[in-house]
Amino acid sequence: MKRKIVVVACAVIFMATACTKDPLKNLSDEESRIYITQRDSTVNFRAFNTFSIADSVAYINNNQLVTRFTAVDSQFIGAIKSQMQQRGFVLVPRSQNPDIGITVSRVYSTYQGIVDYSNYYDDYWDPFYWGYSGSSYFFPSYYGVYQVTEGALSIDMLNLKDAPATNQIRSIWNGFIRGSGIFNVQNVNSQVEALFNQSPYLTSNP
Amino acid sequence: MKRSQFLLYTILLLTGMHIQAQHRVLMNINYSVGVPTGNFREYIGSTSFRGWNASITYRLNEQIGIGATTGFQDFYEKIDRAVYKDADGSDISAVVTNSIQTIPLLATVQYTLLTGQGQTLQPYIGLGVGANLIMHSQFLGQFADDDNKLKLAARPELGLFIPLKKDSEAGVNIAGAFNFMPYNHNNLKNLNTWGISLGAKFPLR
Repeated sequence: MKRKIVVVACAVIFMATACTKDPLKNLSDEESRIYITQRDSTVNFRAFNTFSIADSVAYINNNQLVTRFTAVDSQFIGAIKSQMQQRGFVLVPRSQNPDIGITVSRVYSTYQGIVDYSNYYDDYWDPFYWGYSGSSYFFPSYYGVYQVTEGALSIDMLNLKDAPATNQIRSIWNGFIRGSGIFNVQNVNSQVEALFNQSPYLTSNP
Repeated sequence: MKRSQFLLYTILLLTGMHIQAQHRVLMNINYSVGVPTGNFREYIGSTSFRGWNASITYRLNEQIGIGATTGFQDFYEKIDRAVYKDADGSDISAVVTNSIQTIPLLATVQYTLLTGQGQTLQPYIGLGVGANLIMHSQFLGQFADDDNKLKLAARPELGLFIPLKKDSEAGVNIAGAFNFMPYNHNNLKNLNTWGISLGAKFPLR
């Protein structure tokens, strides 16, 4: 009898321990993703009417720039255009002095660290691209909080409207996506939509 | 006489009782359920059905036993996607998963209220005091914020031992306990739970 009790008790312990819920195993790809948006709280987006989006995507791999362009990148750019237009912004070529410039970057990292945009942003997204060759970029300190351990997508909105007066191309909004499956074609539209849906202040007043 | 034997005999003399039982060392293994209360319940509202505890008791006499208890309880809750405002002003949309495992290591004393030959129901009260190993993870999506700590713990208990047969030292054990588990991380101030245990008690030697 004693032996039976021991066997039953051991079985109970095994079952209880084996049933520990692993949070990662209970997440779908969609649930694994997080969407982070940050804004310059001093900016009223209704003051902006037009935008232009860069026609390529920057790949930042362990703070090293790599230039690529894939069908997924094209779809991200298309989805962003669509969301901006739905919110009243007018797409114009960058030669027509847009109020807002938008860039898309893929950020890859294999270590825990801080992403420092200022190290590479001027090199890749030269202010000349926006027609303000004498300007420099300014990024608020919030970019320093990111600790990237895998692929992520970053969308930046830049204030080109006030660049001539301030001599700065200031970041006014950032959307950041992390998690599993973010570069799958079928997830692109819903991810971009999620970023814009949690940023209801992103509306123009044409 | 060894020092440990001297201490043991001293304790026995102080209690003024005689050991009549055949076995002095008993083992108790239980399946356990944990029900979060108070501040902890606001953090994880789900009852945990994933746990166990085990104790070894050395009987000083028919009514009083001292020993040690350990165990495991897993608390888990997944919250549907929502947008949260972070301290730095950013908005984060995420599925949040809260996961906490507790492993108590307690010194215990147990007092059996009704004893004697032929006693088929033996209620007892107990108290455990010691430490609680806490493994806490909060996941935003797949990204975890971990916090592991060793904190104080106390556990008053009320239980009932039902011998398998008359005068048997082996049997079924059922107990309810309140687990005091102070803790402090972000807005979580304690991990207090009600615990219900069901298992077996049997003599070792």
